[in-house]
Amino acid sequence: MRKNRMFASLAVTALVVSSLVAATTGAHAATRTVTVWSPYQGGNLTMWDAAIKRIEAANPGLTVKSVGNIDMAKSLAAINAGNGPDISVSNGNGNLGWFCGTGAWQNLNTYIAGKNGIDMAATFNAASVSSSISNHVRCALPLYSEVFGFYYNKDLLSKAGFANPPKTTTELLTYSQKLTTFNADGSIKAAGFLPWAGYYGFDMDSMWLGQMFGAKWYGGDRSAAFSSDPKWAKAFNWQKDFIAKVYGGGDFEKGSKLLTKFVAARGGEWGTDHDFMTGRVAMKWDANWMAPMFCTGDDWTMADKCTAKVNFGITGFPVSPDNSAAYGSGVVGQGQMGISKGSKNVKDAWIVMKALATDTKLASAWDTANGAPSSLLAKAARPATYPAWYQPIYDITANPKSAYHTVKNTGEHLEESLLQNLMASWQAGDTPNIKSALADLAQKVDQIVSRNS
Amino acid sequence: MSLTRVNAISPFKKKGDIAPPRKKLKVPRLFIFLCLSPWLFGIIFFTAYPMVSSFYQSFTKFNLIESPKWVGLDNFHRMFFEDDDFWKALKNTIWISAISIPLRICFAIFTAWILTKPKMGKSIYRTIFFLPSMVPAVAGTMAFTYIFNPAYGPINKMLEAIGIKEPPFWFMDPAWSKWGLILLGLWGIGDTMIIFLAGLLDVPTSLYEAAELEGASGWQSFRYITLPLMTPVIFFSTVTGVIGSFQYFTQAYVASGQVNDYSHSMYFYATHIYYSAFKAYEMGYASALAWVLLVITLLCTLVILKTQKRWVHYPNGSLFK
Repeated sequence: MRKNRMFASLAVTALVVSSLVAATTGAHAATRTVTVWSPYQGGNLTMWDAAIKRIEAANPGLTVKSVGNIDMAKSLAAINAGNGPDISVSNGNGNLGWFCGTGAWQNLNTYIAGKNGIDMAATFNAASVSSSISNHVRCALPLYSEVFGFYYNKDLLSKAGFANPPKTTTELLTYSQKLTTFNADGSIKAAGFLPWAGYYGFDMDSMWLGQMFGAKWYGGDRSAAFSSDPKWAKAFNWQKDFIAKVYGGGDFEKGSKLLTKFVAARGGEWGTDHDFMTGRVAMKWDANWMAPMFCTGDDWTMADKCTAKVNFGITGFPVSPDNSAAYGSGVVGQGQMGISKGSKNVKDAWIVMKALATDTKLASAWDTANGAPSSLLAKAARPATYPAWYQPIYDITANPKSAYHTVKNTGEHLEESLLQNLMASWQAGDTPNIKSALADLAQKVDQIVSRNS
Repeated sequence: MSLTRVNAISPFKKKGDIAPPRKKLKVPRLFIFLCLSPWLFGIIFFTAYPMVSSFYQSFTKFNLIESPKWVGLDNFHRMFFEDDDFWKALKNTIWISAISIPLRICFAIFTAWILTKPKMGKSIYRTIFFLPSMVPAVAGTMAFTYIFNPAYGPINKMLEAIGIKEPPFWFMDPAWSKWGLILLGLWGIGDTMIIFLAGLLDVPTSLYEAAELEGASGWQSFRYITLPLMTPVIFFSTVTGVIGSFQYFTQAYVASGQVNDYSHSMYFYATHIYYSAFKAYEMGYASALAWVLLVITLLCTLVILKTQKRWVHYPNGSLFK
């Protein structure tokens, strides 16, 4: 009887202990779940999920839930409602200022500098290191790159007597003068180069123009530098001079009107009637993801020998003579990811995010599939499957002068559209004084940043 | 010509008429409430709550991520004294209202009047004129950006063919862009036109016959018979036009997205609300803008309602009298 009692009490104790252990283990397992929302779908999501499986395998007890096809607007709404993911992914840099500034993405400085941190400069290329910071707060880690370079039509340049693409803004003007042709009625038949806001460039033309002149968006005092950095006024004056000399025979107004009409008649962006493919324009700024279309037209595939009728090359932006050290660079942006405000498991989220950002297998697979160079220095080389003519995209990515402009909390990167509006107004002749307009712009951007801080 | 003759054909009952007693329905209140509940749910959660919430937010700084912070009247102060875009948007909105509403009414009356004339194929003509108003605003605007393209658009080709050497750049020129929108609005006049057509067809032919017998000219018939009898329709179109034009958005947004509207010539009040809310992520400020818009629209509507006694002629017993 006594034995039975003892046995019963032991059994009860064992049951209680085991259930307590199970409960604590369960609770621990529950806290070791990290949710990742990304905009990826199809093959890209498969690659992403494979990387997540590797992370789970390397971290026993850690569960990572991956949800694809979610854009940032949806992520932000969830973060705001308090039921967002631990990690969210944005396809570009544009909104970084807002994510960092509002605290939608957490400050990562302590994690990066911590025991399980990352040596950013030794791990990522220069453009990625600088562009994942906003307002001196690093709240993101970079993924793949988006590269904007200078495309040129080799045949047209050669026909005009140019063996190489222009390296400076002065050469760009000379080349364009020779490459631009006019119809009998005086309208532009084919253009050399268009430093023109709204010519296929969305809101980015002004960003590219600034990169050519090495103009800074924000100064050391953290205020907008459109007025304090004289390179902006220089860039805009060069643009005006270019329009006058190349298209107006010295008359800016005439050149501006002719260009407005020329731009209005541009071919569609996403097909073989694109101006660069039809030879309507000989040189232009554009993104790395346009290369497959320029190469094979509607097939949108990379080939060693391109089949589309434009025989083109890619290189860094031409630069102003006083910015010659930046030749070979371009504008390089990145996909970014951050840890959401309200994440209940920040430590594990950091483990997952760091692993995703530094996963060389993911970087290689992503680059091979999308032609989007990795931000990782370890994976800076062009994949063997890519043609040699695509190498300049990797050179631009690796160039230490390549960058995306500093972003601050201006909402949906309003400083870009405000600058683009100024460029458009200036090229149309509606802004009489560029210096005062740039000062007004700087003041406006500072007001927005101050209001949002 | 006395307007009292019109009253004879009024469908409204005289003021002193007493309606026959209605039978009381024996339906449980709960059943009535249940039948109304979908609508009540909608109005409480999708209209009343957002309105109350946006009224509160209009006094806050709210960026969608952080909790709203009470800022008192700061948003309104900024709107009136610091925000140039607010004044630009308001100016553009007043401009489009002042030009487009009278033009739309005149054009609708004219079109409706023409459509009363054909002896054969009336339905076909009416359908043709009404069809553009069925086209979605986005598609219609996209079509107009093509039609008005300064390089290859058919309008400028025609203008060049008749000797205009430098036709306007339409949506690409700040001086012409709003006129492009006005023409786009006139193209889709069908919805207003159909109301005027109904009004015109409602005018008793006996009035015209009497006028003709007394030697009235076509203009006199229009001035003294048609126009007075159409004033309730003109009044209705003016009120709905004012409310609609203060909310003008889709066409301007699509057209300005197709070109570089750097000068904000197509930047209207509703666009400013949209940009403040979804580009600048300033929900508090956007809410304040929305409430000011409500007040402006209300004031304009009240002014029109107040002045109607001077120019709107109603048949006896009208609900509006």
